[in-house]
Amino acid sequence: MIGDIKLRTLQELVENSTKEELIWINGYLAGLVKTNTLPEAPVKSSINKLTIVFGTDTGNSKKLASEFALKAKKSGVNAKLLGLDQYRLSDLQKEEYFLVVMSTHGDGEPPSAAKKFYDYIHENALQLDKLNYSVLALGDTAYPLFCKAGEDVDARLQNLGATRVMGLQKCDTDFETDARAWFENVLKTLGSGAQAGAAAPAIQRKSTGKRNHTGTILFNANLNGRGSSKQTYHIEIAADDVQYQPGDSIGIVPENPVEIVMAVIELVNINKDRKLAYRDGEVTVFELLKKKLSIVYLPERVVKQYSSVVRQDIPSTRIDLLNLLKIYPVRDAAQFEEVIGILEPITPRLYSIASSPVAHTGEVHIAVARQCFTVNEEVGYGLCSDYLAALQVNATFEFYVHKNSQFKLPAPNVDVIMIGPGAGLAPFRSFIEERDTTGASGRNWLFYGDQHFETDFLYQTEIQNFVQTGVLTKVNVAFSRDQAEKIYVQHRILQHQAEFYSWLESGAHVYICGAKDTMSVAVENTLLKLIEEVGNKTEEQASAYLNELKERGRYQKDVY
Amino acid sequence: MSEKISLSPIERIKKESHGLRGTIVEGLKDEITGAIREDDQAVIKFHGMYQQDDRDLREERAAQKLERLYSFMIRLRLPGGFLKPEQWIATHEIADGNASGVIKITSRQTLQLHGLIKSSIKPTIRSFNEAKLDSIATCGDINRNVLCSSHPRQSSIHETVFGYAEKISEMLMPKTRAYYEIWLDEEKLADKKDEEDPLYQDRYMPRKFKIGIAIPPNNDVDVFANDIGLIAIIENKRLLGFNLAIGGGLSTTHGSKETYARLGTVIGFCDNEEKTLKSIYEVLTIQRDHGNRSDRKLARLKYTLDRLGVDWFKNELEQRTGFALDLPRPYEFTQRTDYFGWHQSEQGLWYYTVFVENGRVMDDETVMLKSALLDIAKTGKANFRFTCNQNVILADIRKEDKPVIQEVLERYRINRLTELASPIRRNSMACVALNTCPLALAEGQRYLPSLISKIEPMLRRYGLDQEEIVIRMTGCPNGCARPYIAEIGLVGTAIGRYNLHMGGDRLGERLNKIYKENLDESAILSELDGWLSRFKSERKPGESFGDFALREVKFK
Ligand code: SRM
Ligand SMILES: Cc1cc2nc3c(=O)[nH]c(=O)nc-3n(C[C@H](O)[C@H](O)[C@H](O)COP(=O)(O)OP(=O)(O)OC[C@H]3O[C@@H](n4cnc5c(N)ncnc54)[C@H](O)[C@@H]3O)c2cc1C
Ligand SMILES: Cc1cc2nc3c(=O)[nH]c(=O)nc-3n(C[C@H](O)[C@H](O)[C@H](O)COP(=O)(O)O)c2cc1C
Ligand code: SF4
Repeated sequence: MIGDIKLRTLQELVENSTKEELIWINGYLAGLVKTNTLPEAPVKSSINKLTIVFGTDTGNSKKLASEFALKAKKSGVNAKLLGLDQYRLSDLQKEEYFLVVMSTHGDGEPPSAAKKFYDYIHENALQLDKLNYSVLALGDTAYPLFCKAGEDVDARLQNLGATRVMGLQKCDTDFETDARAWFENVLKTLGSGAQAGAAAPAIQRKSTGKRNHTGTILFNANLNGRGSSKQTYHIEIAADDVQYQPGDSIGIVPENPVEIVMAVIELVNINKDRKLAYRDGEVTVFELLKKKLSIVYLPERVVKQYSSVVRQDIPSTRIDLLNLLKIYPVRDAAQFEEVIGILEPITPRLYSIASSPVAHTGEVHIAVARQCFTVNEEVGYGLCSDYLAALQVNATFEFYVHKNSQFKLPAPNVDVIMIGPGAGLAPFRSFIEERDTTGASGRNWLFYGDQHFETDFLYQTEIQNFVQTGVLTKVNVAFSRDQAEKIYVQHRILQHQAEFYSWLESGAHVYICGAKDTMSVAVENTLLKLIEEVGNKTEEQASAYLNELKERGRYQKDVY
Repeated sequence: MSEKISLSPIERIKKESHGLRGTIVEGLKDEITGAIREDDQAVIKFHGMYQQDDRDLREERAAQKLERLYSFMIRLRLPGGFLKPEQWIATHEIADGNASGVIKITSRQTLQLHGLIKSSIKPTIRSFNEAKLDSIATCGDINRNVLCSSHPRQSSIHETVFGYAEKISEMLMPKTRAYYEIWLDEEKLADKKDEEDPLYQDRYMPRKFKIGIAIPPNNDVDVFANDIGLIAIIENKRLLGFNLAIGGGLSTTHGSKETYARLGTVIGFCDNEEKTLKSIYEVLTIQRDHGNRSDRKLARLKYTLDRLGVDWFKNELEQRTGFALDLPRPYEFTQRTDYFGWHQSEQGLWYYTVFVENGRVMDDETVMLKSALLDIAKTGKANFRFTCNQNVILADIRKEDKPVIQEVLERYRINRLTELASPIRRNSMACVALNTCPLALAEGQRYLPSLISKIEPMLRRYGLDQEEIVIRMTGCPNGCARPYIAEIGLVGTAIGRYNLHMGGDRLGERLNKIYKENLDESAILSELDGWLSRFKSERKPGESFGDFALREVKFK
């Protein structure tokens, strides 16, 4: 078992030691073995190549996958680690051993980095008979579609003929223990050569959930000036024990408006104090409807379930529970209890942290754009943003920190370009404050935009001060509706493309935050264009250039 | 030497401004602020603009982390206050497109637009330029818009006198091409020599400089409020020349004894154009060389004159011009008024003076004045002449076109507005003050109309409602609506508080005096009630309210 060199060293050690020393060494080694800090004995591997891929938005899956790859290598398995956005899809059919670590985002969707892979396996009739795989799914039980993306991938791979090494492992936000156990099991299974579609590992553990904080509102004011069509609330929150870094967000589960809750209760004539079983405990009807269950703008899938509970035909649409109850009434309070059973939890809303922990110890600041929309000519407001906008000084509420290792400042001497129109500015206020307070020497360039200069320039006076004191090297702003033609941040970037490119060439990191579908796509296309033009590159070279930035963590997005 | 050391900061800015360029161009490019750089705020005045901000919103915006709501006010150069109809149309469109929409007729016969944002200054000046209008030297330490009695009915040779306003304005323009370069993209001059300015040099005047021309017997321009006042002397429909009055200026500072309002002193007569222009020019050079450049509060010509003495000044002027001034000719002012409604000139052209309360041309619930004036301009049949009482004369209308204009006036009920306004309202004036004027301590034009509505019933009660009493209000002691030469002057001291001045005459030849300080509305009304009641019962026949007050009121 032990190699020649090691054996000789040991023999030398033993020969040169006194009895007491030998006794001590004996005890020491026993202790080491017990506390399990010794490298595991490598599994005598029967496989030559293991591919570990990860699909991540905020870095958890990546962190785990990297840890696993390292462990595998230490155990003598030739492991290859790849992000799903970098993965060559045509390689899939050549893989033998394939581990997927991926999270779920949006409403049960794969993270954007895994979207291509997800679509590829779902849209193509692949033959994956040779493939042996297992999926580790990260998720959050606070969301209705827990680990949905991971589930989908696990099921689809099987449908395509692949063989599970180990059943799907779903993890809640406290994923470390479950994830490591899964990997140990996978390794063991691979090592033992057993490859039959094993059942899901039998690790049953009660989730400890997220670390919740109680925040107290210190300040809450609308940053948009009179006459603006927008409302963006700058909210300062005190929370003593909170720990975060620039780039992290906080998650908040909003409560439903009490008028609506009461209207529902009165309509179905149920005792609001009646206790019902919910998750691991009992909660009153009122509490359930107010704080736990989503009752506004129900997704179609819930409406569909509702229709089967009440046994009425309901067209597939999104609608509030109250309206549903009015148009398609429940038979009685008992049937309403059934309806409660199909309602989904209120999902957390995330808000980028707008403060630096070094500049504002014990505080978290956020910038919340109050969502405003019209339905049937009536104005409606987003549940959480409306809830936050109305919070008064000294009000308290619960939140948690959602860490994002994929959106982090570089070393202090590295230049930073930040592109954050609208509420997308929020994390950059944190970045700038951080760099200001810590005296980071790198240059900082901000692109900001919104509708109108006069009313929509969020944090304007602070930004002016940062320019004055020199932390912000450059600021360019685009106000779309102050002139006949629309001007957006991407237009400003193009105007300064030569300088932008020279910053890139000298190592700058680029960050984008804000609207995903519109802004971030347009900005990315602009970046490609400017790399092509200024850098004198072909289209392919430009996208390789950007890809390289991405891989090196020099191009980071937090878009939603 | 010691004077040089303590030059006021503005002196440095002017000198280092490279011919009034400063860093305006750079400031315009700064995307993150609606303001221009601090020093340039002094420079841009010479281009006819003031940086302002909405004072109503200051606190609110500070809490929102928004900078002040900066905008610019632009003031046109209209010597004698004359505008062609197509120029009015252009101004109307610019006001709507680039500014707040309100067109303000000022107490110096010109127009102001408020609320221009930084990026729309250039397009605005371009559009004005296309309409052959400019804003050069309407603000800043330089000769300002030159006034002239506005109503051609005044005299058959009004046109000749009016011509002087143009000539004086032209003579005293700065030589720098900065305005054309910055705003109209004119190529930079290769040769700096062409910009050499023998009058203003690189230091310009120590302070603003104002010139006005009056045609007796009407002192509608308040000729004695100007640094130089010209009084046209006309005999048998011939212009003989001008009496020269110097050292007028109204501004004071609360609590500062060194500052005072002063009416111009008539020092002589010039009997031809050359002498008149030469004298004016050299008054400026004397003030340029001897004016106080360290304390801007004491920098106007009036202080130079009182410091060095009228005799010294006259002597110095004669030295510089190389000729002696003639003795002043007799003249008499018997009125200071706008001729409201229809009037005809000796040449047979027709004029309609529209009452514009405090000079604010706009459309509101009660009257669509701005639309009416636009319609009139569109007929192309009337010129626009502005008065120093902030009104407009629809001017130079041929007899056959009169009905067209009358129709528009009736359609918009402008004639009723003008003809039914009470004399006290028609004679009143208030300055801009809040919310744009950075110097305002109290309200001006936003408030006076409602105060007058409370005085009118009082006058009716005493049967004084047809009495031509002149009331003027300003939001601070700078005196932009010339409250110191009104029968009732209200000078703002703080929000809702005014000093009450009384005892001025009706002609603008006598300053009033402070009667009571820091009055709020109810105190103002009860003081006026008391004095009007006494005026009713104790006035001498034909005595004006101002004369009565001077006689009866005990001043401090
Ligand atoms: C628009 C107008 C009042 C009106 O409602 O009509 C006006 C408005 C202002 N005046 Fe005036 N003055 C106006 C006629 C006057 C007059 C009356 C006159 O000239 O017949 C006076 C008193 C006469 C005099 O000059 O002594 C006058 C004495 C001042 C002063 C005091 C000057 C001094 O010698 O100390 C200031 C303050 C300053 O210059 O520092 C001032 C400053 C201002 C400013 C530009 C405030 C500033 O410096 O930032 C005001 C702009 C307010 C705004 O938002 O529009 N304004 N100002 C008049 C424009 C005239 C024009 O077209 O050029
Ligand atoms: C990583 C991340 C960071 C974020 N950072 C920020 C940030 O810094 N600042 C910020 O403001 N936001 C941020 N967001 C967005 C934020 O999390 C919320 O999505 C947003 O505030 C909307 O939530 P809401 O509850 O107010 O609106 P919701 O009630 O969830 O409504 C959202 C939208 O659904 C539609 N809708 C809802 N109800 C109805 C109805 N009855 N009828 C018709 N349509 C309806 C509307 O279009 C509405 O705008 C971030 C999101 C992510 C993922
Ligand atoms: C905007 C957002 C939406 C999410 N939606 C879901 C979801 O629908 N279902 C789920 O199980 N988890 C959801 N999550 C939780 C994440 O999957 C979880 O935080 C995971 O640890 C993130 O892993 P990553 O950092 O690798 O992306 C969501 C998280 C965020 C930020
Ligand atoms: S008098 Fe004072 S308040 Fe009124 S406009 Fe002039 S400077 Fe402003």
